[in-house]
Amino acid sequence: MNALTGTLLAAAALLPSAAGAGLTIPFAKYRLGNGLRVILSRDTSAPVVAVYVIYDVGARHEEKGRSGFAHLFEHMMFQGSANAPKGVHFRTVEANGGDLNGSTHADYTDYFETLPSNKLPVALWLESDRMRSLAITDANLANQKEAVKEERRMRMDNRPYVTAIVDAFPKLVFQNWQNSHTMIGSFEDLNAAGTADVAKFFKTHYAPNNAVLVLAGDFEAAEAKRWIETYFADIPAQPRPKLPDTSEPAAAGPRWEKYDDKLAQVPGVIVSWPGPKRRSPDYYALSMLDAVLTAGNSSRFKLELVKGKESVVSVEANLGWPYGSARDYREPGVYSIFAVHKPAFTARQVVEQIGGEIDRIRKEGVPAKELARVKAYLESSAILELQGVMRRAAVLGQYEIFDGDPSFVNTEMDKLLAVGAEEVKAAAARYLTARRRSVLEIAVSPKKEGN
Amino acid sequence: MRAAIALAACGMLAAQSIDRTKPPETGPLRDFKLPATTDGTLPNGFKVVLVEDGRYPMVELRLGFFAGSRYDPADLPGLSETVASLVVEGTASRTARQFAEESAAIGAGISASSSSDSLIVTANSPSAQFGALLELIADMAVNASFPESEVRLRKQNRLEELKDQRSQPDVLANEKLHHVVFGRHPYSKTLPTEASIGKLDRAAILKFRDAYLRPNNAAMVLVGRFENTKTVWRMLEQKFGKWERKDPPTESKAEIPEPARSISLVDRPGSVQADIQMARVAIPRTHADWFPLVVANSILGGGTSSRLFNDVREKRGFAYNVHSEAEALRDSGIAGALMQVRNEVAEPAIRAMLEHFEKMGSERVTAQELSDVKNYLSGTFVLGLAKPSGVADQLLKTRLNGLTNAYLETYVDKIRRVEPDRIQAVSKKYFDPSRASIVVVGDAKAIKAAVEKVGPVTMDEAR
Repeated sequence: MNALTGTLLAAAALLPSAAGAGLTIPFAKYRLGNGLRVILSRDTSAPVVAVYVIYDVGARHEEKGRSGFAHLFEHMMFQGSANAPKGVHFRTVEANGGDLNGSTHADYTDYFETLPSNKLPVALWLESDRMRSLAITDANLANQKEAVKEERRMRMDNRPYVTAIVDAFPKLVFQNWQNSHTMIGSFEDLNAAGTADVAKFFKTHYAPNNAVLVLAGDFEAAEAKRWIETYFADIPAQPRPKLPDTSEPAAAGPRWEKYDDKLAQVPGVIVSWPGPKRRSPDYYALSMLDAVLTAGNSSRFKLELVKGKESVVSVEANLGWPYGSARDYREPGVYSIFAVHKPAFTARQVVEQIGGEIDRIRKEGVPAKELARVKAYLESSAILELQGVMRRAAVLGQYEIFDGDPSFVNTEMDKLLAVGAEEVKAAAARYLTARRRSVLEIAVSPKKEGN
Repeated sequence: MRAAIALAACGMLAAQSIDRTKPPETGPLRDFKLPATTDGTLPNGFKVVLVEDGRYPMVELRLGFFAGSRYDPADLPGLSETVASLVVEGTASRTARQFAEESAAIGAGISASSSSDSLIVTANSPSAQFGALLELIADMAVNASFPESEVRLRKQNRLEELKDQRSQPDVLANEKLHHVVFGRHPYSKTLPTEASIGKLDRAAILKFRDAYLRPNNAAMVLVGRFENTKTVWRMLEQKFGKWERKDPPTESKAEIPEPARSISLVDRPGSVQADIQMARVAIPRTHADWFPLVVANSILGGGTSSRLFNDVREKRGFAYNVHSEAEALRDSGIAGALMQVRNEVAEPAIRAMLEHFEKMGSERVTAQELSDVKNYLSGTFVLGLAKPSGVADQLLKTRLNGLTNAYLETYVDKIRRVEPDRIQAVSKKYFDPSRASIVVVGDAKAIKAAVEKVGPVTMDEAR
């Protein structure tokens, strides 16, 4: 009948062929009458199923004075709905042997459960109930504001580097408030949020026609479709919300700012450039350039900066850093490198060394052997990642929300692997120039120096 | 078929009439079956577990040694983790660069880490490159050379990493807690010191390698698709057969102190939260109390339906992260709970956590709680084994902790058989508030007076 019931696919969801990564993750996509998009990806190789709901709303949709609201709202989605009052969501998933969570990003918010496969209808009941009838109360909102403030204190304010990354860095690289405001929010804005805001946000953004439901794992397609119809089909659609204006004025030349981090004990530096359009040829070229520079133990930065110059201690980088990965990168976005370095080197020296490595690629390109090595590494990493049903569901859902085409789960890796040395060289020359560069220097507080 | 196939054409999507006010009825959790394993031992004592899992064209490899931080000399905490971080940095015939480039070229990931009991190499590669992966792993296991230049660089970078770790409150709390709970036992040490990093040299590393990285002191697990299983054993003999066996040195016995109530405050000026941990010494997985303790821990603070989560976070709004843990070590364990709370509520939060400890030991858990948590533990156990990497991790865990496949095969059954009286009895012991070592990391100026209301406080400065 279709790929979902093909017996061949029960044995393995990923069948690499000779050309490219050759991923063949099966899936089918359809739409309910209310506009909810559904993606089913069957894989019976383990008795588990992932349920993933992604909404087309993130921190960039917030309004001025309500920074952090998308994330606060995500917390409210676990606070009960008409038939599953407070505590029931958590308890029901766990009492059925499952795990759950949710996460808020710049451009989307997702909610997910992994369960033993015969428990699938339980997750559909829960997800549909909160999509239909979220319970919004003063007490729950007050309580979740406290939880979110503790989250901010724990994950950001009480740690080195993180306030620099979430508060100062977006302001340095973006000028439009939609992009530059802090995603976790300020305490002032969190305090100002009321239940009316929650209700409005729910009605505007949490409609079925603004969401995608993905099932990945062990289920019977016909049965799953019946359940989905039963639970979701009569949730009313809403007018599609207006997309926020996230346009950025042309970057105003090179920037350099210094952030005094009261908690950091080892200096760091973030180097960033405006990135290309999502899924444009340069997007793949820059992703490949990033892998050459920073992926794994044989990357340029590991071999030449951590070793070699012995200046850098650790590196993180990707297209879209620190928000997600190249996969959920949406323009306007940045390519950023975050390096923690030895105090014996100044930020300026480290930035010059990073620039030197980029210059070398701009002038000399990347040898074929090195590029082949990086591709082999990326290909294995992709197969490993997609072995998990939850990651598979998330990737399918994200490609649908961003690009309207979940088949990119199978084809995007091929596009990346098709990038040639010349394109990497050209991307380095076009994007990673000193003129387009922003630097955030994270300085340790002086009294702790030389301790 | 690679493209999307529209299912809507199938039609006939009649919605069933349902009672939306109740969760749908589903059957009980299905039985779990561990995939078939084949065990073998080479003449030099090297034990290997092989699992054929043809779902993906990849192989997962785990190589574990009884060589964790407990084997560090008393004056060299951090030796085992240094060996782990440098074991991938070159062999007698491959420079660090060659090793890294060769592994990337075959699409392999190879890394190593060290815990209290074990040093574990984690690796994977495409099935087609399994032979090449095995060659690299064998070269590493038998011939890792720990070049002087890599040792020097590692020492420099470890000093910076240590500074960074010490700027994080949870790292400080965990360090202090292990000191208090494990006294002079090697399990007390979670971090190296500046002095030990300074002192560490290649000679100490080679001595550790020669003592502990031995075939008869190791276990390897292979899970994945193999082109020909018979040749795997031949390849293992070829590549690991000449690896010389040697009995590891006898370990000196160290006592773990009797658990007793204490409160330690580690001053971290400017901290915007109090990081609170409380725990006591517990048990290994082989102990008769283990399964009741797993269940008790989960009811107390194991997930989002636990008592701590629902009361401390969801009702009182004291914390974002609050949970309990029962961690098994090979010869001991540690059980307790932790949270991070704003300074103003440090005292009521500590009291709330202690009350929950107390209640676990003084009252029976409810039938609903018990049945829910058994499902949770059974279900998530199976979820953890869904991927080949999960199977590999779990099998290695058994082999490094004196357990067999039976531990995994009967796990769900053992969880199901735990009785409420046993939960209460083990809780009374392991979550006894009068024997909990409490550690608070935070700004002493802001929280000391509040913490002292709970009991006498010993002060300590963050290093």
